[in-house]
Amino acid sequence: MRDYIIRRLLGLIPILIGISIAIFVVMQLIPGDVVSGILGIEQTPELREMWEKKLGLDQPLVQQYFNWITKALRGDFGESFRTGAPVFPEIVSRFKISAELAVLACIIAWIIALPLGILSSLKRNSVIDRIVRVVALMGVSIPNFASATLLILFLAKGFNYHTPVKYVSLFENFGGNMQIVLLPAFVLGSVMAGSVMRMTRSSMLEVLRQDYIKSVRAKGAPERVTIFRHAFRNSSIPIVTLIGMQIGSLMGGTVVIEQIFSIPGLGQLTLTGISQRDFPVVQGCVLFIAFVYVIVNLLVDILYTYIDPRISYS
Amino acid sequence: MRKVLALLLIAMLALTAIPFAMAEGNVLRYGTETEPAGFDPHTVSSHASLRVMAQVYNQLVDVNENLEIVPELATSWEISDDNLTYTFHLADNVYFHSGRKMTAEDVKYSYERILNPDLGALGNSSSYAGIVDTVEVVDDLTVKMTLKEVNVTFLANQSSSYCSIVDKDVVEANEGSLLRADGGTGPYTLGEWVADNHVTVNAYDNYFNDAEKATFDAIEFYVMTDANSRLNALRTGAVDLIVADTAMLDLVNEGDDIQIISYQTRDYVGLFMNCEREPYTNPLVRQAINYALDREEIIDFAYNGTAAISGFIPASLGHWAVDVTEKDYYTQNVEKAKELLAEAGYPDGFETVITVGLEDGIRDMGIVAKEQLGAIGIKVEVKNIENAQYIDDWKTHNFDIMICHNGAGSDPNRGVAFFFSSTGSANIQGYSNARVDELCVLGAGTTNVEEREAYYKEAINIILDECATATVACPMAYFMASPALQGYAPNASNTSNFAGVTLAK
Repeated sequence: MRDYIIRRLLGLIPILIGISIAIFVVMQLIPGDVVSGILGIEQTPELREMWEKKLGLDQPLVQQYFNWITKALRGDFGESFRTGAPVFPEIVSRFKISAELAVLACIIAWIIALPLGILSSLKRNSVIDRIVRVVALMGVSIPNFASATLLILFLAKGFNYHTPVKYVSLFENFGGNMQIVLLPAFVLGSVMAGSVMRMTRSSMLEVLRQDYIKSVRAKGAPERVTIFRHAFRNSSIPIVTLIGMQIGSLMGGTVVIEQIFSIPGLGQLTLTGISQRDFPVVQGCVLFIAFVYVIVNLLVDILYTYIDPRISYS
Repeated sequence: MRKVLALLLIAMLALTAIPFAMAEGNVLRYGTETEPAGFDPHTVSSHASLRVMAQVYNQLVDVNENLEIVPELATSWEISDDNLTYTFHLADNVYFHSGRKMTAEDVKYSYERILNPDLGALGNSSSYAGIVDTVEVVDDLTVKMTLKEVNVTFLANQSSSYCSIVDKDVVEANEGSLLRADGGTGPYTLGEWVADNHVTVNAYDNYFNDAEKATFDAIEFYVMTDANSRLNALRTGAVDLIVADTAMLDLVNEGDDIQIISYQTRDYVGLFMNCEREPYTNPLVRQAINYALDREEIIDFAYNGTAAISGFIPASLGHWAVDVTEKDYYTQNVEKAKELLAEAGYPDGFETVITVGLEDGIRDMGIVAKEQLGAIGIKVEVKNIENAQYIDDWKTHNFDIMICHNGAGSDPNRGVAFFFSSTGSANIQGYSNARVDELCVLGAGTTNVEEREAYYKEAINIILDECATATVACPMAYFMASPALQGYAPNASNTSNFAGVTLAK
């Protein structure tokens, strides 16, 4: 197992280098650059030259990439072109926010999806099953920005309530932080719940049809044991896979929700970086998100061995 | 299992019931639309940053809403007869936020910082401080600047944030950058900055000008990119003031307890035709496009009918403006437009691309312009691009027609020379007329207002008649506030002046 983890982590290195080159190339290919953004309408050829020199953009492209990567390998991801802030600490502080949002969204999704998904598979084609399926389909189909906007409007008009606008961290003010984060987590969680519910249902149905479930039942095992220990555990591999992918995409993919609820997350940082052509920020964010994605998936793979002891990586 | 879930749910509900520690004291909460890009007044042009820096920094002089130059850090000044030497007398009670007293040395340091080529300061161009040759300290409270060339708008231009006076010690303590530091003298000090969420400025007790002292304990600028969220936050009292636009006017309902604050900008929007590119090299084609436009219809569609028809020197510039509604080509005349096109050799029209971006009003204008130009046989493709690319195309003159939103500034030297003289750095349409160039030089070389007016009006009329652009309107700017907000009167010279503003709570 240890060898497997080390192998996977080593495999990460070429992936990250590949991504960093891809981002560098793409950032060069898209029109517009950071100097135009900084100078705006005050742009003159002299000022432009000064800024290109200052930001190191006057050097050949290969040199620019080389400068960046040699620093990055030493753990220095540089400073933002726009704000001069060191990139890495900024990413870490944003990551905490996005991670909190993602974890809460997952918990909410599980609370909604797992019981309903299991129930729906047990009462297949019953009224409950149909209702659950329709609700799940709605969860998957309604875009989260629409439900978020409607929710905000509903709370404002109906209860004269708006989530607090000033962000406070989890450790600084727990209650205040929850008031800011719970609503967006609920919106994200309800969307996730749709697909988790559908996956739980179909996966459970698959397993419930197996002969060994019949054997368990014939043995006289209580229904609770049959469902949770035998059926659910065995059907949980695809569910865990799905959740792993969802957590990964939640890292950078919640930008619309972050904007609507004014939450300073990682997605917002990446988007601002892209629109300002702030290369060190974009590079840092995307690499970090990729890293988290791979790590989450590695954890999922490791989790498989606990769920299903037949799986082994040695 | 069920018990655990139930407990979790109850715990979460209980949390939301805990009253959130709201900002205490007398705080103005301001919902804005974009994230600032740091707070170095010499190197940052971002609108969101300027809004904050206006509270933190001062300049030598200020320009009021009537375009008059008024004292700020300098209480008075003398200008030599040859208009090349400016002597400023500084206020005696100005203290930086560090507590140190501001002296003539600081003014000298600030201007030297702006002129230092390694900084790339925005003020280091002929529009601002770039024409300063030497800065000399006469005594502790007197500073003398000598210019390389005469520019009568020099004094007014020193009111720009790019010419702020900064604290040398703070600059040096922060490795030469004020992006995240406070080296100002303003009524508020720079406080907490949580990127993509909020920036706080706190009242500075030792501010030198009693009349403009902070009336709030703090101002909190929130980044709320989503217009709907901004409006709902205002509705529910989560913020007191928000940045708005014409599209948001429709979202305010009858029963909403919201005050709408507006002012006529000194901006204008219009179609900029690339005079270096066929067929726009031909003035007849440019004229035809002017005749083809129904400006009222554009304003109704893109600006809710609230903007005024305007040339590139809007009526809000007072006596400098030329009334464009008297110009024949500002009234739609499709027949005339077709005739002009035929005369120019395009009886069947041609194909062209209109580049739009940046903001909703511009995008909407593209849609209407496409229809209206279609009526005279011009086939338009509207190309909608995002900000950075828009600025790039703007800078490299890469467009057939680009719809722009420009600020005409406070003096025609900006509105005319910057955008239309052949050497103007914002002359993106490549327009060139020898007489206009000559008039711009004449206008910048004399202090006699009547003479200047005559020069600039001649230039404006030439540019209008040659149809270098097809300007459409001067839009309004909007804010929305809770009824408790009193005394906030933004104008085209200053939208971030909170002196005397209060919240009746």
